[in-house]
Amino acid sequence: MQTSQEFSKAEKFWMNFKIYQLWRFIVINVKILAAVYQSKRS
Amino acid sequence: MAKVVVIGAGFAGHTAALYLGSQIGRKHEITVISNRDVFGYVPSWVWVGVGHMKPDQTIFKLKPVYDKMNVKFIHAAAKEIHPDAGDQYVLGEEVSSGKEVRLDYDYLVIAPGPLLNFAGTPGLGPENGFTHSICSLPHAIKTRDAYLALCDRMQKGEKVKIVIGTGHPGATCQGAAFEYIVNVHKDLVKKGLRDKADILWLSNEPSVGDFGVNGVQIKRNGHLMRSEEFLTSVFNDHGIRYQVQSGVTKVEDGKIFWQNYEGEEGSTDFDFSMLIPQFKGQPFKYIGKDGEDISARMVNPAGFVLVDGKYGLPYPELAQTPEAWPSRYQNPTYKNVFAAGIAFAPPGPISKPFTNKNSLLIAPAPPRTGMVSGVIGRVVALNIVDLIEKGEMTHSEPMTEMVAACIASMGDSLWDGNAVAIVMKPVVPDRKKYANEFGRDLFTSHLEMGVSGAWMKFMLHHTFIWKFKARPGWTIIPE
Repeated sequence: MQTSQEFSKAEKFWMNFKIYQLWRFIVINVKILAAVYQSKRS
Repeated sequence: MAKVVVIGAGFAGHTAALYLGSQIGRKHEITVISNRDVFGYVPSWVWVGVGHMKPDQTIFKLKPVYDKMNVKFIHAAAKEIHPDAGDQYVLGEEVSSGKEVRLDYDYLVIAPGPLLNFAGTPGLGPENGFTHSICSLPHAIKTRDAYLALCDRMQKGEKVKIVIGTGHPGATCQGAAFEYIVNVHKDLVKKGLRDKADILWLSNEPSVGDFGVNGVQIKRNGHLMRSEEFLTSVFNDHGIRYQVQSGVTKVEDGKIFWQNYEGEEGSTDFDFSMLIPQFKGQPFKYIGKDGEDISARMVNPAGFVLVDGKYGLPYPELAQTPEAWPSRYQNPTYKNVFAAGIAFAPPGPISKPFTNKNSLLIAPAPPRTGMVSGVIGRVVALNIVDLIEKGEMTHSEPMTEMVAACIASMGDSLWDGNAVAIVMKPVVPDRKKYANEFGRDLFTSHLEMGVSGAWMKFMLHHTFIWKFKARPGWTIIPE
């Protein structure tokens, strides 16, 4: 069923705000690496 | 000296071969048999399909890498597997000469990737049908050419209908189709043609954003967010219409036929369509010592290799039984045979299956590509090393413990591109370990969209090709 849900103007702003996105880039990378190395069994 | 044969050189087989070669390649004989002599970085074929990346940028020759890693490479198509004790070997056919090759083994890794079962849906596929695919490099190139020809028609003012999604009620890999649809959208916006196209997402998922893994759920600032809401916003924001709970049953020239959960039969017109086919196991012959067919001991009816999972549980029970998922990917009858990547038989679906009133089963199959394939390839390789050196296995990683990250790109520009970064832990929900209705770690699981995702996708393309070329430090880059 089609709904009318959309991103807000604020959300779209942050998605394209490069300095904030640089921070998110670091956060996501750290999060992925932490999760992967936690699950990697020796 | 032990002989290890790896069938296939995709994410799973190639990863297994690199670990085997680096750890025991000098002392033991490691052989890869593959019908392709190049490694293909599949995630970037989405960009090939819209003409944003040259095909050559997504592949490299396997042999030089294997030479460096003490792995022997045979460019041949595996045909038969003879797993009975005493005389265990793989028969193949050399690609260049058509000559038969025989590879004796002590340990076998079956990782040939999926058989793209276009024949499962009449009229589907680029060879004998009317739709396109990005599941192989030749298909992605053909898709690109058809897409660019479509753009030419739109430049002349023609309005067109584009349908992208899944082409079978049991198809998987919705993530790749999602990436393709948003890349097409983004490309058309850049070309100033978006108003000329009506774009539809047509999928067998129970809901938008399900991706065959029962969706992704995260907690952010104390609020629960689901991939369904997130992806719905993406589609609405991009003006992409969507239709889920639909299994494609047939395709004719310009018309896709489907059935939905309600059992309604309908059709959708299209000018251009990219639909992911059903995946099946490769049709190898499994032959016993007396020449008899022993497929039932090796594979399930779809051709996927049986491993150490618990098969036959009904979905409600399976959803509550995380231990039903295999952890070592070892065949229960032939303990020296392992399966990695899409080749192993999952114990059942992750998303809730649905049978409509016409008895059509609409059920996305569990995705076992990309990161999952690589992790399984590593686990299998390290266990074979263990068996050879210590006599017992010490590695295991079921999908109910595995983390998977997926970056779904939405345009490749580093300035105004975009991507959805998805992290899920675990891939298969474990409702015993995680006390929430989703069976996931809601803190580690992640869902976010932004230009940083485009940077990650770009970075992943280069770091993974570095890793798969076994360049310095390749082992510290996670699968």
